[in-house]
Amino acid sequence: MTGEISMEDFSTDETLAMDFALGALCRDERRAAELRLRSDPAFRAMVEAWRADLSSLDDETPATEPPEDLWANIAAEILPIKVVIVPTKRRGLWNSLSLWRGLALGSAAAAAIAIAQIGSPPASPAGPPQLLVAALAGADGRPLLSAAYDPLRGSVVLTPATQRDDIAGKSPQLWVIEGKNPPRSLGVIDIQGPNAHAISSKQLIGLQAGATLAISIEPLGGSPTGLPTGPVVATGKLTAI
Amino acid sequence: MTKRSPQASMGAAELSALLAKAADGDEVSFRAFYDRTSAKLFGIILRILIERSEAEDVLQEVYVTVWRKAAEFDADRASPVTWVATIARNRAIDRLRARGSRPSAPLDEAMDVRDESPGADVIIDTASDAGRVHAALAQLEPRHADAIRSCYFEGITYEALAAREGVPIGTLKSWVRRGMMRMRQGLETGV
Repeated sequence: MTGEISMEDFSTDETLAMDFALGALCRDERRAAELRLRSDPAFRAMVEAWRADLSSLDDETPATEPPEDLWANIAAEILPIKVVIVPTKRRGLWNSLSLWRGLALGSAAAAAIAIAQIGSPPASPAGPPQLLVAALAGADGRPLLSAAYDPLRGSVVLTPATQRDDIAGKSPQLWVIEGKNPPRSLGVIDIQGPNAHAISSKQLIGLQAGATLAISIEPLGGSPTGLPTGPVVATGKLTAI
Repeated sequence: MTKRSPQASMGAAELSALLAKAADGDEVSFRAFYDRTSAKLFGIILRILIERSEAEDVLQEVYVTVWRKAAEFDADRASPVTWVATIARNRAIDRLRARGSRPSAPLDEAMDVRDESPGADVIIDTASDAGRVHAALAQLEPRHADAIRSCYFEGITYEALAAREGVPIGTLKSWVRRGMMRMRQGLETGV
């Protein structure tokens, strides 16, 4: 061993960096050190050197596998939410549903296009993701479009079952109605063209089977009030498949 | 269930490359990064928080933060594992302080734990940094080494630990700081 270590060998800054990296400072001292960390590169370098030294202590801690489904929760928070419109040539609803199944398996040719638009899916260690689908039909029961929400991928895909040409100059808006809560907007959508739309991922957290999706026809740009103001042209319940 | 490849099998350069891709929005790379680091981070968080469901919450928060801050990671300044482990530790300690209490053991009991630590499933290569740190800490007074571990793993302040140990705060600081310097010397010279 080398001789006696003296505290005088270390500057005040070095001691502060050590205390901070260790996590032993009280709150006020810690705040002050955090401010310096941002403004003083030399101090930050000292802190990072101590952190690197201390990280060896982490090797004493046994690694523990987190639960398998934790990634899905993370993915739901971080991955961009996209609405992809996949035109189907007036095919029936059941064709659309089989498309969703295709999406889940990644096999159908049409699905391959949709997946390319969404981005490659993360590998799932816990088996295929649970998809939620809803067939949105008008008051006359005619299917208007179907929607699929993939919690693992964090995406909503809408497929028009029929074309509508009476909504020029208006904005269809997608809503979710959960239990007795007022409708919550998932944003203005384009049910005409094959465009992708981003929806804030926060809005889709917790979307579950049993919730109702609805589309109302709103002024261009969407409802000015935050609640549906125009005619509701289609509704449908989300079902797990 | 298929067993994942050992997390240690991936080097810092590869992890840094995955983080760089994640910073560009590549979720597949981020998933790969998660698969290779999550067990280590979960272990660290669990050791601090003990309570499993709370540790899961914090782990989720940590990866959301890592995803958002991936662009701030600078491979020239820190190793990717140290970077994410620091985020994990800080978040876990924040949670612990917000909670205000911890199922904690006084140092005497912590010493018993220390005797088993590293546990049977953690093999520490004596030529590695961890081995050198372990060796350096083993040369300290057990109470001094445990004070370092208490600060590091419990996020306990000098003030609170001095009160718990019934020693003046100056004495405690001197235990810890000398111990830390020894640890660094051990790392530099290879005790």
